[in-house]
Amino acid sequence: MNMKEEQITRPCKPEARRWLIGGRVQGVGFRPFVYRLAQRFRLTGHVQNTSGQVVIEAAGKKKLLDVFGVALLAEAPPLAQPEMVHVEKIPYLERDGFEILQSSDNSSGRIHIPPDYFLCDDCKREMQTPGDRRYRYPFINCTQCGPRYTLITKLPYDRPNTVMTSFELCSQCLREYEDPGDRRFHAEPVACPTCGPQLCLSAPEGRINGPAALTASVTALRRGEIVAVKGIGGYHLMCDARNETAIGQLRTNKHRPHKPLALMFPWCGDDGLAQVRDELEIDAQGQALLRAPARPIVLLRRRRDSMLPRSITPGIREIGVMLPYSPLHHLLLHELDKPVVATSGNVSGEPVLTANAEAETRLARVTRVFLHHNRPIARPADDPVVRVIAGKPRLVRVGRGVGPVEFDLPGLFVQPLLAVGGHMKNSIALGWNGRAILSPHIGDLDAPRSMAVFEQVISDLQRLYGAFPQAIVCDAHKGYASSRWADRQGLPLIPVWHHHAHASALAAEHSRELTWLTFTWDGVGLGEDNTLWGGEALLGRPGVWRRVARLCPFRLPGGERAGREPWRSAAALCWESGIEPPAMGIRLELLKKAWKKGLNSRVTTAGGRLFDGAASLLGLLRHASYEGQAGMYLENIADACDSESEVDVIDLPLFQSATGLLTADWKPLLPALLNEAIPVARRAMQFHLSLANSIMVQAQRIHASTPFDRVGLTGGVFQNKLLAELAVSQLTAAGFEAYLPERTPCNDGGIALGQLVEAAAGLEAGAHGG
Amino acid sequence: MEDRHVSLAHGNGGSYMRELIETVFARHLSNPLLDVQADAAALPPMDGVIMITTDGFTVQPLEFPGGTIGSLAVHGTVNDLAVSGARPCYLTLNAFIEEGFDMAQLERIVASLASAARETNVAVVAGDTKVLPRGQGGGLYLAATGVGVRPPNLELGLDRVKPGDLILVSGPVGDHGVAVMLAREQFGLSGELLSDAASVLPLTQALVPLPGLHFMRDPTRGGLATVLHEICRATGLETRLNQAAVPVRDQVASVCEMLGYDPFYLACEGRVVAVVESPQASEALARLQALPQGCQAAIIGSVNHGRPHVVLETELGGERILDELEDDPLPRIC
Ligand SMILES: [Fe+3]
Ligand SMILES: [Mg+2]
Ligand SMILES: [Zn+2]
Ligand SMILES: [Zn+2]
Repeated sequence: MNMKEEQITRPCKPEARRWLIGGRVQGVGFRPFVYRLAQRFRLTGHVQNTSGQVVIEAAGKKKLLDVFGVALLAEAPPLAQPEMVHVEKIPYLERDGFEILQSSDNSSGRIHIPPDYFLCDDCKREMQTPGDRRYRYPFINCTQCGPRYTLITKLPYDRPNTVMTSFELCSQCLREYEDPGDRRFHAEPVACPTCGPQLCLSAPEGRINGPAALTASVTALRRGEIVAVKGIGGYHLMCDARNETAIGQLRTNKHRPHKPLALMFPWCGDDGLAQVRDELEIDAQGQALLRAPARPIVLLRRRRDSMLPRSITPGIREIGVMLPYSPLHHLLLHELDKPVVATSGNVSGEPVLTANAEAETRLARVTRVFLHHNRPIARPADDPVVRVIAGKPRLVRVGRGVGPVEFDLPGLFVQPLLAVGGHMKNSIALGWNGRAILSPHIGDLDAPRSMAVFEQVISDLQRLYGAFPQAIVCDAHKGYASSRWADRQGLPLIPVWHHHAHASALAAEHSRELTWLTFTWDGVGLGEDNTLWGGEALLGRPGVWRRVARLCPFRLPGGERAGREPWRSAAALCWESGIEPPAMGIRLELLKKAWKKGLNSRVTTAGGRLFDGAASLLGLLRHASYEGQAGMYLENIADACDSESEVDVIDLPLFQSATGLLTADWKPLLPALLNEAIPVARRAMQFHLSLANSIMVQAQRIHASTPFDRVGLTGGVFQNKLLAELAVSQLTAAGFEAYLPERTPCNDGGIALGQLVEAAAGLEAGAHGG
Repeated sequence: MEDRHVSLAHGNGGSYMRELIETVFARHLSNPLLDVQADAAALPPMDGVIMITTDGFTVQPLEFPGGTIGSLAVHGTVNDLAVSGARPCYLTLNAFIEEGFDMAQLERIVASLASAARETNVAVVAGDTKVLPRGQGGGLYLAATGVGVRPPNLELGLDRVKPGDLILVSGPVGDHGVAVMLAREQFGLSGELLSDAASVLPLTQALVPLPGLHFMRDPTRGGLATVLHEICRATGLETRLNQAAVPVRDQVASVCEMLGYDPFYLACEGRVVAVVESPQASEALARLQALPQGCQAAIIGSVNHGRPHVVLETELGGERILDELEDDPLPRIC
């Protein structure tokens, strides 16, 4: 019998169907939406959360069921990202109405952990409406907004499985929570001033509870004090962004002399950006990014006429800016009516602090004013950071509102894998059943707190996603705290070379099948020949990378210190070239002897160290107080060069070894860097241009003998916008397609994903080969 | 003309060997119990628990500012007994000499060994020499076994270390490691900085009477950090080090800073790390500081509940995990 005939013979007979819907459907108001939709079409049946998915059974007229099925995806609430998994006809159900059933916990589902959401417009309106029972309530939320990732302790996503379980709903909130017609129906963090979390200010003068705590915090900020403010994923350290003294105090207390500080602006004007526009250059892309649901920190150029103190980002023209995202931030910034510095409330390199008492102890050197609240934070999440490079927003740090980042990698991870990432800027990744997730940024694993959060995130994400790996992937560097941890777990260990992981992360984002020539330029990472790589070009694809080019190796004296002391790179580059380093106010005799003997002086090809050396030779800095400082200064000064077209490119000679490996010699750059007759900005530009040109020339040389499909640029060095954009435009002009990471940081924050993909590809190749 | 170098003949059991033993070793080390003709030494009965330890010495260079491989063999062996709470009494000595070794240098080394033994009041009661063919043996290796006695009721050990205990060090760390490295690499700074190589017996004997003394160790190879790792591994507890409190000589600090080494991992040969019950820590500190060798002693950290990590509290309020020593640590900053 065909369909037409069926329609004719049984025109209006009610029937029943079952839909299985996956994607992001939990914690986003999807079930009440289904409920209201069913009401609209007068369907009977039910909707239910299983672990990660939603099951809908509905009965009604066939035509209505058809429309309902389409509307399930088409009209879904803004935060939901539903995917139709399965539809089937089921026997007709005799039901009175449509209900939302209790969640059932079967763990076979395709689980999505929602990130934390910004305050929605509806809630913002309520919060600003005098007389509303949530007027000025800093914890207002609904199914379309509020924390998720930092709140969930277990799945399915239900109130008892969140940190809200300790707050008993008042009768009014309970009514909203249980009313399928209400926009707070099953909004798990729902709260009001009667039953929900409260603010508490802790200051030397004493404690203030409730709304007055907010007013007191604003007063403290106005007075130029530093206030630690507990937000969604942890504490911020805030101070008045226009108060130089306050910023100086924050820098001194936090031992953070130069590292750029992020700003939070009040939501102002029709689109919220009125105050941002006064200080920063912002185009349509920047506007969209600032207002994106993740509410990331966006790196924007300071306007020439900006009155913001230079000390916010010493030596750099870009400032990281974000808009308020939680109701608390909205209230605070609105009342203050000017931007604040909002930097992570942590001890340098550690995950942001989340617990009230611990914050007071660990931040005691920075401030004694704390705006706490009593909603617990299940796990830390720093603010995400985005920079537009080569026309696209690139994640520099995965954080609140973004992570866990999901990737569909069909065919991979028949065996579930855990990847533990790098040592600095650590994040971890899980891969199972054709999917992978990358965790939010955790931190540098030197500190006990970083290790504790690292372990917690690993165990939480395994539990939440129901993915329990039977093997662990780590960096080949055995000294990384992540590698040491992996080694202790008693599971099979799959070490992956650092730069293979960088290259594979990029391939995982764009294509795992095509052949790539990927430039992996970073600080240092352990390479296959046991030297420290960081200026390589790798040819192939995940599982089969081969080094085809590199920067000329040099010995770098002083071990780990070299990463923090660019003058060491400068000295090493000079010595390697047979040039006496310029006077740097440092006695070099002893070090030169050590360097000659190879004492604690590793051989490296690191591009990052080449940038360090160049910045130091240009006199920009000798010591770096934060990672990447030298590269940022160098980029910034080059940016000031207004005669780019007149700058000559210096050719970096390419030597080919017997095995075919190309070596690009950076030595001709040195005399140019040291030529004081030329302005510093121009020399810095020449350095960038010449390296970008070398990338293009290397690609051409390699392509001539071994064709490839695409050029990749990844590794921390390509956070340098100028270098990345020059390289992309040169490559494009030469006819290549060039790619940079978008959804994973090009720095070590992205390598966990690459480790997963590289190991899985290797396992696959092994399985096929043997 | 007399050849002033050691030859293979000096090791063949014949007259050359007898001459070497008598003119170099026996002459410097002679004492009533040492009988170069006998196969074994007879020791008088000893009162207390008899403690024995053995160690090999391969330091390069063989002579360094503040000591030689000879004095180091005595101090190293004596110190292992001392930190166990024992009084060292006797040593045995094995010398492995490379063919062609300068006889005058051998004499100097044996003389410094003998004077270290005299100063620490231990007698070398048995010994042996072997000559290795040219190219083997790095000039001279020494092996020593030490015998001492400990009071029967003294209980020291990692199993006594408890949460809340405090950690002391008897003096600046890293002197030996830096002095030897500078001498080995002929950096031309040698002479300014001396190895700390010395017997720690006066220090340990000052602490032994304290009932709150739980554990002592000499931080030799792998330095202070390695001792703390041993404590963590054995007890499952956390150890915390207060960076500002650990004494480090300016010169050691500046060499380390320049070359990129961490003084906490560098060897000491005359220091004691002691773990003491908190109420007696200040008494222990006072006893150490009363001795010339302990004038820079300090309380540097604590043993705590927590993960078995060695945590360094930095001067800026940060916390850093000190990993176990690796042979050849690679930089990790990407
Ligand atoms: Fe890297
Ligand atoms: Mg020993
Ligand atoms: Zn809302
Ligand atoms: Zn309520």
